[in-house]
Amino acid sequence: MTEQPQPVQNPLTVVMKAKSPEDNTALRQVITQLQALPAERNPVTIALNKLGNVHFARFAFLGEDQLLLITTYDGDFVAYINEFTDNIGDVFNTLLAHVEYGPPLPVESHRQEFLDYIRAHDLRCVGTFYSAYPDRTVFDILDTPSDSSR
Amino acid sequence: MAAVDLADVQGFILRGYTAPVARCLGLSVRESAAASAFLTGLADGDLAVTTAAPWAEKPGCCVNLGITFPGLAALGVPPGSQASFPAEYAEGAAKRAASVGDVGVSSPDQWLAWLVDPGLHLLVWLFAQSSEALDATTAQLQQAWSAGCVELGRHDAAWLPGDVAHFGYRDGLSQPIIEDIPLAGLPDHLPPAPVGEFLLGYPSQHVGFSYPVPQPAQLGANGSFAALRVLEQDVDGFAEFVSAQASATGMPEELILAKLCGRWRNGVPLVLSPDTDTPDPPIPPDALNDFDYVGEHHDERGYHCPIGSHIRRMHPRGQRTAGGDGYLHRIVRRGIPYGPAYDPAHPRDGRARGLLGLFIGVSLRDQFEFLMAQWANDGTFAAGLGRTKDPVIGAHTDGAGTFSIPRPEGPVVLEGLSRFVTTRGGAYCFLPSVSAIRYLAGLRANL
Repeated sequence: MTEQPQPVQNPLTVVMKAKSPEDNTALRQVITQLQALPAERNPVTIALNKLGNVHFARFAFLGEDQLLLITTYDGDFVAYINEFTDNIGDVFNTLLAHVEYGPPLPVESHRQEFLDYIRAHDLRCVGTFYSAYPDRTVFDILDTPSDSSR
Repeated sequence: MAAVDLADVQGFILRGYTAPVARCLGLSVRESAAASAFLTGLADGDLAVTTAAPWAEKPGCCVNLGITFPGLAALGVPPGSQASFPAEYAEGAAKRAASVGDVGVSSPDQWLAWLVDPGLHLLVWLFAQSSEALDATTAQLQQAWSAGCVELGRHDAAWLPGDVAHFGYRDGLSQPIIEDIPLAGLPDHLPPAPVGEFLLGYPSQHVGFSYPVPQPAQLGANGSFAALRVLEQDVDGFAEFVSAQASATGMPEELILAKLCGRWRNGVPLVLSPDTDTPDPPIPPDALNDFDYVGEHHDERGYHCPIGSHIRRMHPRGQRTAGGDGYLHRIVRRGIPYGPAYDPAHPRDGRARGLLGLFIGVSLRDQFEFLMAQWANDGTFAAGLGRTKDPVIGAHTDGAGTFSIPRPEGPVVLEGLSRFVTTRGGAYCFLPSVSAIRYLAGLRANL
């Protein structure tokens, strides 16, 4: 059997637990309002478009008091922590104010602590991370015309 | 922002000296009080380090100082203060080697012995206008350090005829423009880098963030960090590769050389002159770094300057990159060749030749290491590069590297790239301010 190459993509699954029922309500309100914004005004969409190395990203609620951030991104998250913080730090400042064991805020001024928090709350991956296209980055995919435009 | 006191900053951080000969000396501190006296001389004596203050007359020999992490302890820096320095500096170049591609023949077990000596504490650099001035200043320094330090090793370097590096390219054309600092390189119209990218204690290019200043502030502020690199160049291998690819593709050797680098060998950038190294009208010398890959000279697909070429990887400018950071991760590069000029009439002469380089920035991790790991030794940051590496400095293994030259009718792919640059040694250094040298001199002066 041929061994699959290590994908250029990586998973990130961050579990954030609300500090209190009130914080949980606030988290849900923030996320709901954020995700109701049109793409051109949604700061997450704007940031991810600019970063250009995130394939997929979504928020989900788990149980009564947890918020999940689930993404698939290219390359080394640590290497791009500065760009991530510069572009999307404000969103995390709002969210992390409501979570248990959150890092000091604003994250722009506490980048290492922010990185440490993300790492500590990332569920990672059991066994192999499957990718249907292990060699292809966001840029590679966007660079290839889709069938409809050929 | 408070103005930078240029007289407190080591000069080579902010300006080039244009010195034809250079020497790097590695010292080990053996007697700390006497070493402190040596440092006092470097702060305030006749052998004081060259600062960034304007000079009326260029010195015959400029002197600068770097300190390794073990050097801090040797000079009496307390553990709490040592702990305030960044982790990558504390680990040092040898431990971080794999992350920048220094593996295999470039791994630390192959390095020059003095650069892996755990007793390497101080690096003293001399940049002189003549060999005589270099030797005279070396002798003065030896006298000054001899009571407190021993020399572990040295590396000499000198310009080659024609002001080129060993692969034949003009070098040193691209340096960052730094806000509020007198222009030290060729002008350009790119976003300037804030001084906090090159000096500790000022706002960085990142939102709401200044890199932490090692404590106490007298030690950390106005300092910077440098990766010292001794980079051996396989000029035979490079010339043979280019010759073979010219035969295989039918492209002229000069064009292949230009595509690999992103500039013709005389420094003319491909983006400004894709077909000839002698455009008419000629490009003025001070316009050789004034271009972008988007906008006026747009070359988003790399048809003029390949996206994977050396200078485009090392500074993607406005090109779309992962993180959206093509203008960031700037680094100050001070490099000077060592070894004899390559003579194509006498190949494989067995002589070592390469580049003695210093790569300077406020964060070794976010500047030097990022450039090597993300942009030189990987290709996922830009469209279409796959896992390829920099064709000139990349850590290729076993002739397995490839290089794509984009063309509207389809790319030409060069195959069989080897490692043309081998790391023969490295050191991560703190570049203290003059105030910091004075502070360090005071730690053990009275023991």
